[in-house]
Amino acid sequence: MVIKEKDVLDDIRAAVAAGSRKETSEMTGSALKAGSQAEDIRDAILGGLNLVRRGLMSRSASIPEFLLCVDAASDGLAKLSEARIEMGREHPTIVIGVVEGDPHEMGKAIIAGIYRAFGFRVIDLGVQVPAEDFVKGVLQSGADILALSAMMSTTMVQMPDIISAVRQKSPQTLIMVGGAPLDRKLAEQYGADGYAESAVTVLEETQAVLEKSSRSGQYRS
Amino acid sequence: MPENAGTDVLKAFKFFLGGIPPSPKLLPEPLVNAVAGLSSVRGRITRLTNIERLFVTLMHREPDRVPCCTVVNGGSRRLVGHTYAEFSTDPKIAAECFLAGFNHIGGEVIVPLVDLSIEAADFGQKMVYPLNSTAHPDYADPVIKDVEDYRKLKPIDFKSASRMQGFIEAFSIIRKGVGLKGIVSGFVFGPLGVLSMMRGAGELFRDCISHPSDVMAALETITGVLVEFAERQCDCGAAMVVIDTLYASWNGLSKELWEKIEGPFADEVAASIRKKGAMVGVHNCGHGVYFDAQIRSMEPAAISFAHLPDDCRSRRELKERYGGQVVLIGMIDTPLLTHGTPHEVMEECRRQIDDLAPGGGFVLAPGCEFPMNGPLENAYAIVKAAELYG
Repeated sequence: MVIKEKDVLDDIRAAVAAGSRKETSEMTGSALKAGSQAEDIRDAILGGLNLVRRGLMSRSASIPEFLLCVDAASDGLAKLSEARIEMGREHPTIVIGVVEGDPHEMGKAIIAGIYRAFGFRVIDLGVQVPAEDFVKGVLQSGADILALSAMMSTTMVQMPDIISAVRQKSPQTLIMVGGAPLDRKLAEQYGADGYAESAVTVLEETQAVLEKSSRSGQYRS
Repeated sequence: MPENAGTDVLKAFKFFLGGIPPSPKLLPEPLVNAVAGLSSVRGRITRLTNIERLFVTLMHREPDRVPCCTVVNGGSRRLVGHTYAEFSTDPKIAAECFLAGFNHIGGEVIVPLVDLSIEAADFGQKMVYPLNSTAHPDYADPVIKDVEDYRKLKPIDFKSASRMQGFIEAFSIIRKGVGLKGIVSGFVFGPLGVLSMMRGAGELFRDCISHPSDVMAALETITGVLVEFAERQCDCGAAMVVIDTLYASWNGLSKELWEKIEGPFADEVAASIRKKGAMVGVHNCGHGVYFDAQIRSMEPAAISFAHLPDDCRSRRELKERYGGQVVLIGMIDTPLLTHGTPHEVMEECRRQIDDLAPGGGFVLAPGCEFPMNGPLENAYAIVKAAELYG
């Protein structure tokens, strides 16, 4: 049976959008075997992810659906990595973590998943991360961006100190913040370069922050 | 009114004699409306008592000024010099803190929420009690580690439920301490919220789509326990019990999925509260709250919220659409309370009162718990704003 390449890529896009890990993985493998270009497969995976991400914006998709979609996209991209296919792009490095005392993993995990899927090199420090570990993580990785998350009013107040500590040691690193109790005004007040309100806007906000610092063009959404 | 209206009146009378303001639901509706109407008129010429003010508000009439609830819960520990760990684990200390908050700062309502893990802890969830922050589950060691574990969840014998028993103990002390100066509302975390504390929100969200029947099996077990917990709060004199259904918002499930997965169980808890003659309240501090779905499911008398519902674009639209159906409680922003000045807080309160108070049925309050380490002068500012602009 001859399967048209366009159909295969459409199917991959649909499998990612449906949040089907198994199908995404299998179809990615099949597409590679059939000779599809890795760039095209990757674009199909990201197309599926973006479809649901935009669905979040229009409220036609929900966070649980998006979580499954990120899982499927990650599996598909992992399949490409397993095949040792390099995309030949620069990968901005992002260090991400939830501030000390805060155990909330989900929001950070979603954002980290999106960043990974869209070609960033992500160093995930996890939850309850002390300020010094953020500084260490940024210095060791030469991070372009530090993404800080806090979901509690008690923990978000540490952000200005973390931002100040990172600025002292690594002034070139851009800093973004996000989390339920924050807003843009507070992010500015804390001295952050950007504010990611949600998974919906995080890529555009990151792009804007990178553009402002003339480090744009390193990924596409 | 239910057919046992006479018994309800007797119960209301007993509560009143015991220094506890009864739920209006225990009294015949014509009597309630007549009293609310008269009190509203009286409020135009003289100052009402806290209870009268709340009563008039709950009946959707205009009181002398809007009542308020500062929701200074964990923050109240700082008034008496206790750590959060002491506040979380010792009911007597918790009660002392809540009463200090009520007596020092003011307001007409207390919602004695200690943390959102009380129910989960009694299901065996391992907890972390930080010295100066909210107690939370040890997410590295959840009760529900895999999908198979949902159906293994067992009901709790309330006698061995130490955290819920502690809540009841604290509630009773607070209820006695507040007397007729205000309303003490009960509180239960919604069934899905309790489950998220034992599974982790991310995994639970995935399972709601991939394994809904397993999730619902666990929700059924949890709901039975929550019904008992809510009923005990009603027996201790809770005129209202608030159910926190956070995931009925854009931050959680889609509306359709929420109505399928948690809606029926939230309804069961709400029905048990109504059966006890108390009012049902809903708290949801998510973005794009599903007011319509929650009203369909739980028929609440009041909704406490931080952000606009998914189907309203402004506060005035919210008031117009839902102000006649439920008492609105909110919606002062957490970042403002954390970093704003008292003047800024008062100005925001004034704007919210202008939009939401006309016609009655509005309680000024933070959209979520007052930031527990936030500046307490901003809590005083809420009370002052209610007095000045309400």
